[in-house]
Amino acid sequence: MAHPLLQSIWLIPCYALLGAILSALWFPGITRRTGPRPSGYLNGLMSFASFLHAAFALPATWNQPPQEILIPWLDVAGLNLTIPIEISTLSVGAIVLVTGINLLAQTYAFGYMEMDWGWARFFSLLAFFEAGMTALVLCNSLFFSYFILEILTLATYLLVGVWFNQSLVVTGARDAFLTKRLGDLFLLMGVVALLPLAGTWDFNELAEWAKTAQVDPKVITLVGLALIAGPMGKCAQFPLHLWLDEAMEGPVPASILRNSVVVATGAWVLFKLEPVLALSPTVLGVTIFIGAVSAIGGSLIAIAQIDIKRTQSYLVTAYMGLVFIAVGTQQPDAALLLVLSHALASALLIMGSGAVVWNSITQDVTQLGGLWSRRPVSGLSFLIGLAGLVAFPPLGGFWALLKITTGIWETQPWLVGVVLLVNAFAAFGVTRVFCLVFKGESKQMAQRSPEIHYWMALPMIVLMGFILHLPLIMQALNLLPSWAEVNTDLALLLIWSTVTGIAASAIVYLNKNIAKPVVLPWKGVQDLLAYDFYTPNLYRSTVVFLVALVSQITSWFDKYLVDGGLNLFGVLTLISGRNLRYSNSGQSQFYMLTILFGIALISVLLSLPFLSQVSISLFPQSATDIVMNVQR
Amino acid sequence: MQLQYFLLIAAALFCIGVYGLVTSRNAVRVLMSIELMLNAVNLNLMAFSNYLDPQEIKGQMFTIFVITIAAAEAAVGLAIVLAIYRNRDTVDMEQFNLLKW
Repeated sequence: MAHPLLQSIWLIPCYALLGAILSALWFPGITRRTGPRPSGYLNGLMSFASFLHAAFALPATWNQPPQEILIPWLDVAGLNLTIPIEISTLSVGAIVLVTGINLLAQTYAFGYMEMDWGWARFFSLLAFFEAGMTALVLCNSLFFSYFILEILTLATYLLVGVWFNQSLVVTGARDAFLTKRLGDLFLLMGVVALLPLAGTWDFNELAEWAKTAQVDPKVITLVGLALIAGPMGKCAQFPLHLWLDEAMEGPVPASILRNSVVVATGAWVLFKLEPVLALSPTVLGVTIFIGAVSAIGGSLIAIAQIDIKRTQSYLVTAYMGLVFIAVGTQQPDAALLLVLSHALASALLIMGSGAVVWNSITQDVTQLGGLWSRRPVSGLSFLIGLAGLVAFPPLGGFWALLKITTGIWETQPWLVGVVLLVNAFAAFGVTRVFCLVFKGESKQMAQRSPEIHYWMALPMIVLMGFILHLPLIMQALNLLPSWAEVNTDLALLLIWSTVTGIAASAIVYLNKNIAKPVVLPWKGVQDLLAYDFYTPNLYRSTVVFLVALVSQITSWFDKYLVDGGLNLFGVLTLISGRNLRYSNSGQSQFYMLTILFGIALISVLLSLPFLSQVSISLFPQSATDIVMNVQR
Repeated sequence: MQLQYFLLIAAALFCIGVYGLVTSRNAVRVLMSIELMLNAVNLNLMAFSNYLDPQEIKGQMFTIFVITIAAAEAAVGLAIVLAIYRNRDTVDMEQFNLLKW
């Protein structure tokens, strides 16, 4: 713990934040002459610095118990908000991963954003993300995690909307913000409701509390459902998954980040909340269900896409669904392992897609083809990304999926089927993209497609190296099971599913006898998958429709009933003034009549008490009788 | 002869005065109607003074004041009518509706 790099680990989010703030100096409105490139290089340096910091701090955490640094934030009556920073192998390792992928994505962006003037804004947002994610993994409190998740939601909005002169970007950014915001709001409900139950937001204390907690099952079920709603939106799980598809409108380097690490922020919170979720079997069931539906749905949709970026984004939904399954079956370690292997593989796949898009302009896989001979690096990135993603021994994805399936083989065998299916579909989908883009006949858009230059190739090659070395790293960290423990049946099943997926896809897409584009006998199913189960229509006809309707009714109510009611008083006063003025007729005789009427009325009113006692007789006896009558 | 008859006569006279006051188109006739009303009042005062207060006859004193004031008021009223007539060349009350709404 005395290690100075560990003591100052809280500086890591600050590096990135500093880079984000300093980038503003190169906004086109501020630095008008020399261009925005230094902002990118500055942020790259900052990422490199934080990567080095974390990488050198990591060995100091070996075999050390987790340490906490407490930073007081706010102490008001009855509520003490302290930011707990956890320093463990896990958190520092996660920082290494986050800063490493950020460094690679930023290097990639040096090349990809070559022809763009918006470097300052783009890189400052990337750095903002890096700061947010490193802060999230360091922060050990549910409250501050929520805090950071919300900030990241805002940053997603800005980052997806970098090229805001495109209309699809604007709608995509809108959906990304609102969908994630919705999940976050439910998460906030859960966070607030958890405090009276557990009395703490510290993840460690929550885990302690959950061991012995005696709570009403209904209450903890509702709280647990609210707590998974936040990660559901963040991880783009069904039915909150449309935003990830539309977020593909943003620049590719941002997509690298989003697909590999940003969506994993939700998984991180889910992983940390696992002890609380385990209090309610219903919540675990729902988590598994959502994960399974998203995994199968996402991997099927990915097969039916023709946009190369969208074929990747739905796979992210699918793999995050597997993470949900892992958490739902109480295997947080397996979930983390899957997040790690998926982050690397997914980043490489998106880098490969971006590399193809950068030189071939179109993103439509049906218009590409035959790039393998000319684009070996991009092609290799797909192959190695595929191998790292699916269960392809000995790479990372295999061990992660094996760990998950081993954990659920005894208890929920049907989930193993889900994992195998998703694995096969993912293998099919990525192989399909590879075959369409790199094999077959060269289409018009891909006929003169040179390989990318070094800024983009360098991070891809480095990442390929990482993926290939991941098994060695895992072995060094004792993350691999020993040979005796490996369930060979499951391992074979996984390998078989991978081989089946790849082989089926290769047969379909490399066989010239099958007409391209492939048309399924059931056109409806193909369209259903291609249009993402018509999710936009679903949103528009349910939530959006309802909210719009209620808004219109409320607006109408406000405009006509509330405003109208108040205006009615004014109008009535106006009308009465306008009309009553005609009582001033200008005829003095009429005024006299009014005076006489008034006098008569007042005298009648004043004499009413007396009149009731007057007995009128036409011929009273004497005048004194009248007086007496009146007096009586 | 009883008090009531005087009072009824006076009331009738007053009502005739009111009718003349609000219906006459001639300004002078309006003034005459006012005189009628004042005379009805005088009749009331005299009757009450006679039947209820025969000792001190305060009503008769009031009547004298009313007559004098009525004379002065008729003089001022006629002067006003003359002043209007000089400007507008008519004494028709219907023509004097300039000060409306």
